[in-house]
Amino acid sequence: MSTLIEVSHLDYVYPDGTPAVFDVNLTIDKSEFIAFIGQNGSGKTTLSKCLNGLLKPTSGSVIVEGIDTRSRGVIKQLVTKVGYVFQNPDHQLFNDSVEKEIAYGPRNIGLPEAEVMARVREAAAVAGVGPDHFATHPFFLTKGLRQRVAIASILALKPHTIVVDEPTTGQDMPQSIEVMNFLQRLWKEEGHTIIIITHEMSIVARYAQRVVVLGQGRVLLDRATREAFAQPDVLKQTFVEPPQITRLGQVLNPHLPRDVLTVEEMQARFEAARKK
Amino acid sequence: MAMAVVIKDLEWKYEHTTQFALRGVNLEIPENTFLGLVGANEQGKTTLINCIKGLIPHSFNGVYRGSVEVFGQVVKDTTSLHLAREVGLVFADPEAQFTAMTVEEELVFGLENVGYDIRKIRARLEWAAEVTLIGDLLDKSPYDISGGQKQRVAIACVLAMDPRIVIMDEPTSMIDPLGKQFIFDILRKLKEAGDRTIIVVEHNIEQLAPLADQLALMRAGQILKVAPPDEFFADPDFLVEQGVYSPEVTLFTGWLRRQGRFPASAPLPRDLAGGVAAARAALDMGGRA
Repeated sequence: MSTLIEVSHLDYVYPDGTPAVFDVNLTIDKSEFIAFIGQNGSGKTTLSKCLNGLLKPTSGSVIVEGIDTRSRGVIKQLVTKVGYVFQNPDHQLFNDSVEKEIAYGPRNIGLPEAEVMARVREAAAVAGVGPDHFATHPFFLTKGLRQRVAIASILALKPHTIVVDEPTTGQDMPQSIEVMNFLQRLWKEEGHTIIIITHEMSIVARYAQRVVVLGQGRVLLDRATREAFAQPDVLKQTFVEPPQITRLGQVLNPHLPRDVLTVEEMQARFEAARKK
Repeated sequence: MAMAVVIKDLEWKYEHTTQFALRGVNLEIPENTFLGLVGANEQGKTTLINCIKGLIPHSFNGVYRGSVEVFGQVVKDTTSLHLAREVGLVFADPEAQFTAMTVEEELVFGLENVGYDIRKIRARLEWAAEVTLIGDLLDKSPYDISGGQKQRVAIACVLAMDPRIVIMDEPTSMIDPLGKQFIFDILRKLKEAGDRTIIVVEHNIEQLAPLADQLALMRAGQILKVAPPDEFFADPDFLVEQGVYSPEVTLFTGWLRRQGRFPASAPLPRDLAGGVAAARAALDMGGRA
């Protein structure tokens, strides 16, 4: 597996003196699906903003596909490597049509107009934003569609890695499932590395392959999702509980497995447990 | 039992829209009970609570038919000041309701506005701060505290008015797991006190279910189902079709029931302990009557 992002001994202190991230070491490879979890103030968002150079390390380093984010004049390169989708799409959308919104990034890095338009069409198609919406003002779209436009505007820059901050906050279950299935498709079919920041453990259990647990600016746990949720004691330090169905297995272990992630998986493994 | 809220054939269409947001809602909420209001987004949940609070029709224009009564008084014909004392509403976004420079001023604002004397104001302030655990935030700016703390302050402001009905619209949707736990602890305290009617709109069914006396499901501007939890969760597949996901334990025991390993007559459990008992019995480990 090839490494996309290498974070070494990263410290980040905000200009007003507030320390946010301490000695974080992290290697992110191609085609990973990672969840950053932890309480508010644990450093999740700060860390993710360090990954695309929005924030520069106070000390330590972040190397993105060979580029040190502290180097001068690399921001236009970095935006084509790591895309960041804000929690609230309205914080990110500012053009008066969907087409201009998606075209903004590619135009900004100076691509020729024909290439810009080709990328708009491609990114919109992948994100499920139909051409009939191109002339619409983004604010007249539903929240789900605005989020897709926000993601399309990132996809148009063709970054390998896409960071999505709280993709399901404020959404109901059908909407959450829709956006997560979309991110899963970007990961599986388009080969993107996806990083989500979320508080929803059932979403983490169902979609993420790896979990990075942050607490007070440090990485407390960095494991495959299944192994992470099998360690409820470490999660408890940061007031996170595994999904209810995982806890059910843990209470009844060894009769049931302690690392079940979803209800469907519990059904399958329950059958196996009964046959024993 | 005395009714806190009685809604009859309620229809409402916002001005400049073509479709009715509420299309014949009927609902009775007994005094001092806890109602969980659930359903997918855009089905009319927030519109309905705005009708109980009286924001509709007093602060919105539109077409209003049917009636809403709060403790026997017709909301449409009741003054906002009177409704302010009877019904408190906490918004999903706490900042939407902040105006003052400190948390304490924020809490006192509503009380001064209705003209209470200083001793009563102090007693209310202390009680509301204690229930919501914000005593140490009183001299801070409401904009300078965490999202979870903001939501607790917003709740304290509403509780300080001592309304007989407290409504919360997705009170945990914007905050982290620890902050959510604080909010559900406050709801539990209010329920245990038993002297208030509580209405909560919430997507977190797992945490809501153990608190609710009744759950109401909204779909396309109507109440599709209203029942105590045992009956409400009897058919998890139906709920999924309506965009509502039951607790994982409920979905799992629903599956056990289809396999004939959970009694068809028993209510499906919602909490971990109930799920453990059901799974034990299905594994023939004993432990269930």
